[in-house]
Amino acid sequence: MHIPDGFLDGKTMVTGAVLSGCALGLSVRQLRRRLPRRRVPLMGLAAAFVFAAQMLNFPIAGGTSGHLLGSVLIAVLLGPGAAVLVLTAVLIVQCLVFADGGLLSLGANIFNMGVVGGVGGYAIYRVVQKLAGGLRGVIMGAAFAAWCSAVLAAVLAAGELALSGTAPWTIVFPAMVNVHLLIGLGEAAITVLVVVAIQRTRPDLVDPSAPASGPLSYRQVAAYGLLISLGLALFVSPFACAWPDGLERVAETLGFAHRAAAAPLAAAPLAEYRLSWVRSAPLATSFAGAIGTVLVFLLAFVTARVLIPRTRTEPR
Amino acid sequence: MIFSLDPHSRIDSPVHRLPAWAKLAAALALLVATVTTPRAFIPVGVVLIAVVALSRIPVLFLLKRLLLLEPLALGVALLALLQEGGVRIFALIVVKATLCLLTVILLSNTTPFADLLRVLRRVRVPALLVTTLALMYRYLFVLAEEGERMRRARACRTYGVGRSHAWKSLASVVGRLFVRSTERAERIHAAMCARGWR
Amino acid sequence: MSPPTAVELRNLRFRYPDGAEALRGISFSVSEGECVALIGPNGAGKSTLLMHLNGILPDRLPAVPAVTVFGRPVTEDNLAAVRRDVGLLFQDADDQLFCPTVYEDVAFGPQQFGDDASVPGRVAEALGKVGLSGFEQRAPHHLSGGEKRRVCLAGVLACTPRVLVLDEPTSDLDPRGKRELKELLRNIPTTKIIATHDLELVVELCTRAILIDGGSVVADGPPRTLLGDEVLMLAHGLERPHILQHHHPH
Repeated sequence: MHIPDGFLDGKTMVTGAVLSGCALGLSVRQLRRRLPRRRVPLMGLAAAFVFAAQMLNFPIAGGTSGHLLGSVLIAVLLGPGAAVLVLTAVLIVQCLVFADGGLLSLGANIFNMGVVGGVGGYAIYRVVQKLAGGLRGVIMGAAFAAWCSAVLAAVLAAGELALSGTAPWTIVFPAMVNVHLLIGLGEAAITVLVVVAIQRTRPDLVDPSAPASGPLSYRQVAAYGLLISLGLALFVSPFACAWPDGLERVAETLGFAHRAAAAPLAAAPLAEYRLSWVRSAPLATSFAGAIGTVLVFLLAFVTARVLIPRTRTEPR
Repeated sequence: MIFSLDPHSRIDSPVHRLPAWAKLAAALALLVATVTTPRAFIPVGVVLIAVVALSRIPVLFLLKRLLLLEPLALGVALLALLQEGGVRIFALIVVKATLCLLTVILLSNTTPFADLLRVLRRVRVPALLVTTLALMYRYLFVLAEEGERMRRARACRTYGVGRSHAWKSLASVVGRLFVRSTERAERIHAAMCARGWR
Repeated sequence: MSPPTAVELRNLRFRYPDGAEALRGISFSVSEGECVALIGPNGAGKSTLLMHLNGILPDRLPAVPAVTVFGRPVTEDNLAAVRRDVGLLFQDADDQLFCPTVYEDVAFGPQQFGDDASVPGRVAEALGKVGLSGFEQRAPHHLSGGEKRRVCLAGVLACTPRVLVLDEPTSDLDPRGKRELKELLRNIPTTKIIATHDLELVVELCTRAILIDGGSVVADGPPRTLLGDEVLMLAHGLERPHILQHHHPH
């Protein structure tokens, strides 16, 4: 979901760049203090790993295939501060070397995938992991966070495209998010399978209490939280609040009815259909998203149940 | 090697000889002009065609790269069609996106990444990010090849198994790739220390 | 008068964090100008030993270290000086060539050791020594195996070490690569310690061979004597090299 150049307008690109610039600054400051010297090369290798892992295609139905996005995987394995740095590096190389994702849109892309996926995903992971506890918590948390990261990134990208006037929210939001409700499932499955595979051979690498990049201070948690909320507020809330409420909707439908009466007969049903579709699609998508969230959470719970007995009985 | 990164970044031409910072700045200027001003695409297009001619990069190669990347852009652009005046917006976006793509493709194929890194270092991008970028670029294909070898070895042993099994075996390849990356990072750290890094 | 001691090991022991004992009390000393081969089967502890010579292992250096380099015990305080004196060539060239271009990689060591003005000259000289002048702007992933190994060697030589420590320098090289590398090493007069399975290299280049197995020194002597002892070689997973076959009186 790398947004190419040409799709975002000036204010959106600048906002994205400022937000991810701040997040990157935070991450570098934290790493400079907390990252052990011997782990410095690991940042570059982890970035190369994300790239290499993305080249391995997982088969889906009918000859199509998907691949790992990796933000939550890296956050789980290396911690949030390192995740921002690593994913920023991945996105920069993809842009400058492979022309995948725009150079001016880099800020927005880093924010959607690196900051929200890495730090936001990590926060979700940690909350679930603490609630459920133990290895089960790791698996549940990773699955749920991976799904959320894909969906949230799509929501943000939709907001940015709509804010730029490229495509209306009523179209871009359902189109992007519905697809990513499904992509998120793949991301969650791959993330969990990989985490379990690593846990079996090197349990020390999946220790949730000791991320490689060191713990975050409360001030950093607050700062990241502020940045992510700011992004959501700027990119998404203008549309989320602008959905027509009941009264407005009735008035619009009435107004439309007047025009429809004047219009040629044949065009009317189609126009009406399109309008109601356009109007209801974001609501339906939000609804689907809400149900999806609950379902995926349950699914994560079941997955953790299914996967754990085996990892426990197996000798390390 | 699976494929080469920027195969034309080291040929000799007037464009290749320009300093990296100048090319990066010019690319940024072209991108900003294309994206922010509604009518800039004609002069930008002319400039880009001139660069293509001067750079001696095979046109066919550029077209292939464009075609490879264009669908990603078109997918999003199609959404713009579903609105009032959509066709005009769609056309405008496609033209803009294509010019931007060509700009970045030209930048990456006339400027070695190592030179871009030096520019980043000079404009005070945090050293940790530049080091991470340098190491990532260096080990991209070392790891990609390692992953591909492991996938092939796995595929030989798990031929014809069900999809869920295929996913598990691929996931274990990805997992092992990560473990190997951390081990390689440790060896690289040792090699850096051996030459005085501290 | 005998030449001064370059490297001295006194009862060197090492245990990996997982408890496996890799080195069980190794002692020997290497004089300046010697070219010593460390031979032994896989897992004998050769690479682990080499990592001790410049303090990469152990993670925490002891107060009274077992290794002394040119009279300096390998302690935390002496680490910079020791690493300057000991140039270590690693087994996997990809691990050692971590910079985006050949120039930057060869310049890495001299830059760390802090004499910026002399860096370009040192790089040019080192690349000249390994026969790769003109490769400065090449990217490591575009080099052949032999070229990679030689760039690694240049990176080590650019630091002007007083002892060269080489871990399997000819592994993964084709015959021509091997020949070129051997010629190169022959012409470098520095003291050398080479861990290798390439027994022909030992016979051709080295003045002394030390056989290590199970983390201990098993034999120490002139290469032709050691490697010619078929019973000893076979007992430790090695074999008598072909170039020694016709020297043997059948």
